[in-house]
Amino acid sequence: MKNKGLGKTITTSIVKYKAFFAVLVMLLFMLFPRTNFYSVFNILDMLNSASILMVVSFGLTLVILAGGIDLSVGGSLVMGGILTILSMNVMPMWLAILIGTLSGAVIGTINGYIIVYHKTEPMIVTLGMSIILTGIAQELTDAHPISAEGLSFMMIGNGRIFGTIPNLVVIMLVVFAVFYVILRYTQFGRNLYAIGGDYEVAKYSGINVRREKAATYVLAGMAASFAGVLLSSKLNSASSIYGDQTALTVISGIVVGGTSLAGGVGGVGRSLVGLLVFAIMENALNMLHVDAYIQQVIRGIVIVAILALDSYDRKRRREDV
Amino acid sequence: MANKENDIILTMTGVVKTFPGVKALDDVSIQVRRGSVHGIVGENGAGKSTLMKILSGVYTKDKGTIIFDGETIETTTPHQAMQRGLSIIYQELNLVNTMTAGENIYLGRFSEVNGMKGTHQKAREALDRIGSDIDTWTLVQDLSVSRKQMVEIAKALSFDSKLIIMDEPSSSLTQDEMKALAKIINQLRSEGISVIYISHKLDEIFDFCDTVTVMRDGKVIDTRPVEEFTRMDMISMMVGRSIEKEFPERPRKVSTPLMEVEGIKTKKLHDISFTLNKGEILGLVGLVGAGRTEIVRALFGADKIKAGTIKLDGEVVAIRNPRDAMKRGISFVPEDRKQQGLILPFSVENNISIATLKNLYKFGILDKNKERQIAEKHIKTLKIKTPTARTAVESLSGGNQQKCIIGRWMEIQPRILIMDEPTRGIDVGAKYEIYLLMKDIVENGGSVILISSELPEVLNMSNRVLTVCDGRINGEFDPEKASVDEIMAKALGVSVEGAMA
Ligand SMILES: Nc1ncnc2c1ncn2[C@@H]1O[C@H](COP(=O)(O)OP(=O)(O)OP(=O)(O)O)[C@@H](O)[C@H]1O
Ligand SMILES: [Mg+2]
Repeated sequence: MKNKGLGKTITTSIVKYKAFFAVLVMLLFMLFPRTNFYSVFNILDMLNSASILMVVSFGLTLVILAGGIDLSVGGSLVMGGILTILSMNVMPMWLAILIGTLSGAVIGTINGYIIVYHKTEPMIVTLGMSIILTGIAQELTDAHPISAEGLSFMMIGNGRIFGTIPNLVVIMLVVFAVFYVILRYTQFGRNLYAIGGDYEVAKYSGINVRREKAATYVLAGMAASFAGVLLSSKLNSASSIYGDQTALTVISGIVVGGTSLAGGVGGVGRSLVGLLVFAIMENALNMLHVDAYIQQVIRGIVIVAILALDSYDRKRRREDV
Repeated sequence: MANKENDIILTMTGVVKTFPGVKALDDVSIQVRRGSVHGIVGENGAGKSTLMKILSGVYTKDKGTIIFDGETIETTTPHQAMQRGLSIIYQELNLVNTMTAGENIYLGRFSEVNGMKGTHQKAREALDRIGSDIDTWTLVQDLSVSRKQMVEIAKALSFDSKLIIMDEPSSSLTQDEMKALAKIINQLRSEGISVIYISHKLDEIFDFCDTVTVMRDGKVIDTRPVEEFTRMDMISMMVGRSIEKEFPERPRKVSTPLMEVEGIKTKKLHDISFTLNKGEILGLVGLVGAGRTEIVRALFGADKIKAGTIKLDGEVVAIRNPRDAMKRGISFVPEDRKQQGLILPFSVENNISIATLKNLYKFGILDKNKERQIAEKHIKTLKIKTPTARTAVESLSGGNQQKCIIGRWMEIQPRILIMDEPTRGIDVGAKYEIYLLMKDIVENGGSVILISSELPEVLNMSNRVLTVCDGRINGEFDPEKASVDEIMAKALGVSVEGAMA
């Protein structure tokens, strides 16, 4: 403490809140070029398009915190949308939405059961699940996008509160609040940190590790399929291909936000910021008319750079001990 | 007040536990009285930890009966055991590194203590109770080994327990923490809470315990009140043969300088200078945190050196990382072996050979037979208790795991062997073997730097002792002439004469 200079304190906190600083830097940077970046409309629009992946990320964060991984969130997202739209033909909308959302819970239950109770590798199980789900989705839709009749469903994903704030942003914030409270203020949430931090220790501390770990997959599946409902409402369509990139995009956002893939460290707040990094970046690069392929390259560089900071952080900490 | 049968908190009768290839417990019977401190001693692999893990619900017994607090217990889970009033400090640290000290103490009981605020409040109380000033908000991974152990103790005490099991709780405690632990144990006894105390440090056993059980090869050899034991018969019972002495003859072949260290500075060290001679065992004495480990880490290239030089055979050498050090024949047995040494799922032979693999290739192919032979050799000399050389290290007892690491560094046949607490958690018989190995190295022209908190060990094995205090070397002693008090005073930094070396 005593010989810790201001400079060091600053670098340490930059490293610690790197995603947050990345957001700040981008926001500052965008003050200079003459673009519409800072218009209220653009900012809300940016959040609006990011909110669906953010909802996916909140559930997935729980899985990763508990030391697991779920590559089938894209599949759950797709199923959520398709089942909602298909069900809507034969039942009231609210029931269809419920069914869509619960489809993810069913998928998550199967994932969790196989992974936790049969001690299988989550990467493989959920990869297999995601292939299965894509197949089912193609079968259900004949591999064509499907859409709902009538406008009321569309209004959920496209409406704005007071005519300005997009519904999706508000919904995202509500989901965020729910997961935040779970992680921070419930026994279950705190247990997840223990399970991901050290599975054996958690077990010997009397935590029901298997049940709670399995529950993370259920919540992740549910969040993903709920996001799928939102997406299909926004686009007024559902298709088996909508989930292709979801898992990897969301996982990189979560990790950039500062949740460790090793488990035990992180939180939904960080995931929100992590995904915000990509949202702002994409928006800003579009405003600056950067070529789409170059954008990809930049995104990759940012992921690696931010993670490199992570290992720098660990290294200096070890020296300090 | 308590009637006769109420006087016993725990009765275990005829407990048997078999692991593949090992009969870890063979008809074990033990009785623990209420409010007594019951010691269990025995060689590495005798079955002490296994017996405790059966009580705490980590393992299930094959046979036998357990009566705890008047209730017959067939099977139990860690959770049930805690609820019945049994808590345990495991031999291997059992904390979640990525969480705070406070949260670790109340792990799995978040709602019981009303959330985060309650957790830290209660944890503070638990730590205060054992006289520890650890901040409850510190991440466990940032705590030293001894402080982690204090967190474990606080955790075990935070349950409303009737019986507290301590499986080598003190292996890395500092002297002050040790005193605090002694006080806690006495207090528990006066509150009528029972303690099962496992340790390889016999002084503690004699200080704390009312009754002692000696185990060997999964069997109970004898249980007696502590007054009826002498140190030597306790040791003889443990190893199964009579033992006359705990230390071999001190080596006496010290010759010319091998390594000269001049003015080394690092983050924690100030101006470290000393010479290590060929054929010498050099002891470093100091409190935990005084800088002993930092000195050897610097020599081994594990910490960055800011100033100063290291000479080997009179020539200045640059040691920038552990690989440089190993190329020059320096080996290091680190203090925290679990973290820095063993690959737990690997076999005993793989763990032993990993640092010398490159010598084992014949035409680019690993010579498995040779690897096996080498492993067998160390298993024999170090008496590593394992079913086969192919057994995974994680299934060995704590002390036997450590022997594997020592075997690995022995195999390098180092010119300079640095050992940081080499006998921690190791039984008396095996300690003797380690002393012999140290002797073997120095008698073949090598040198050993020995760091140990067990003063008798340093004083009996070293040719010279340096005291370390606050990141400096502040004294040099001839252990055959100096008194223990003199050396300790210097190490504590309370010397009156204070002549700086
Ligand atoms: N999970 C396991 N799988 C297989 N064998 C085991 C397992 N745990 C312990 N053993 C074996 O059981 C025996 C007793 O081990 P235990 O850990 O009880 O010894 P200990 O008396 O605690 O020794 P130490 O003093 O080294 O801690 C050892 O031979 C060990 O190899
Ligand atoms: Mg043990």
